[in-house]
Amino acid sequence: MLSSFLVLAAAEDGADAGKAIALALGIGLGSLGAGIGIGNIFGSMIQAVARQPELRGELQGIQWLGFALTEAVVFYGLIGGLLAYVLV
Amino acid sequence: MKRALLLVGALFLALPGSAVAAGDGEFDPAHEWELKPWVEIQIGPIDMSINKAVAYLILGSIVSIAIGIAFMRVKTGRGPTRRQALGETIYEIAQVQVAEQGLPTRAIGRWFPYVASLMVFIWTLNMLGFIPLPLSDERFELFGVELPTLAIFAATSTLSVTLALALMTWTFTHVEGIREHGSWGYFKTWIPDVPKVMLPLIIPLEILGQFMRLISLSVRLYANMLAGHMLILTFIGLMFVLENVFLAVISVPAATVFYLFEVVIVVSIQAYIFAALSAIYIGSAIEPEH
Repeated sequence: MLSSFLVLAAAEDGADAGKAIALALGIGLGSLGAGIGIGNIFGSMIQAVARQPELRGELQGIQWLGFALTEAVVFYGLIGGLLAYVLV
Repeated sequence: MKRALLLVGALFLALPGSAVAAGDGEFDPAHEWELKPWVEIQIGPIDMSINKAVAYLILGSIVSIAIGIAFMRVKTGRGPTRRQALGETIYEIAQVQVAEQGLPTRAIGRWFPYVASLMVFIWTLNMLGFIPLPLSDERFELFGVELPTLAIFAATSTLSVTLALALMTWTFTHVEGIREHGSWGYFKTWIPDVPKVMLPLIIPLEILGQFMRLISLSVRLYANMLAGHMLILTFIGLMFVLENVFLAVISVPAATVFYLFEVVIVVSIQAYIFAALSAIYIGSAIEPEH
């Protein structure tokens, strides 16, 4: 399996390699930041519910809002990477 | 358990779609997003052709109207049926979680229908995107009859659709803001209280910020659905790219996991977020916080 990956990699020329790196960096660095952020949100949510379990319902809405806003960062990275991949 | 099996079965049904895509020699998941016109309609310079995305949109609006009629027009009086309970749950999410979170109380009557139908419509479009449907550009032959392959495609994974939806919210925001405060008064609500020296820096940033809302609102939904479909297609397509059938041991379970993640979490979250942010934007135009 690995050898077929290598054959695939060798077949592409330098420009394609650069595009692939751009795509990978776009989504990779984007998900790095979002990973930290989403971890923070759920961590805080667990702490908040542990302290005041009766607020769970109210907090859940805010939690999902924050989750989606943070998670979107990955996709901005992905779109940036795709733009580099398609346009350049 | 039964439901999980059903979903796995549905995923297997989607397999032929990617298999035929590999038929022309090279497999590329991006082929799914090439929209070929089915019915050519050209009005002046505007291309109004019906293609796959438009077909999904039409289907989506029919289904969301059906959802509305089926769950909201329930005979009340006798004990609550399951249908009524489900309808009330949908209504309550739209009312408590979406509308009341963003809109000021006096604007709920006017804007609740908009945000609620936005939520139901986007949820339907997203959900239709994960059900294998025979709406596809590729054809295959079954007993001599040409049939479209079953494929998964979401209308919300094209930027035009989400941009149009975001543009609607964006327009309503400003219309409502101007109606409430007058044009100059509304513009003044954008600018926070800062020392006068900072104003030349803050004003362009705030104006840019209004346009960034449009981009963030549309790209969030678009990229979420695009990435979800791309992941599933790529994992299944790995078998065709590397021409190794035994990869199915890895790629089908991985694709199934992503499929379940998308269907269970992402579809609903994104519909909720879009509606909630629309409500918040419209609400903040009516009653600015600062």
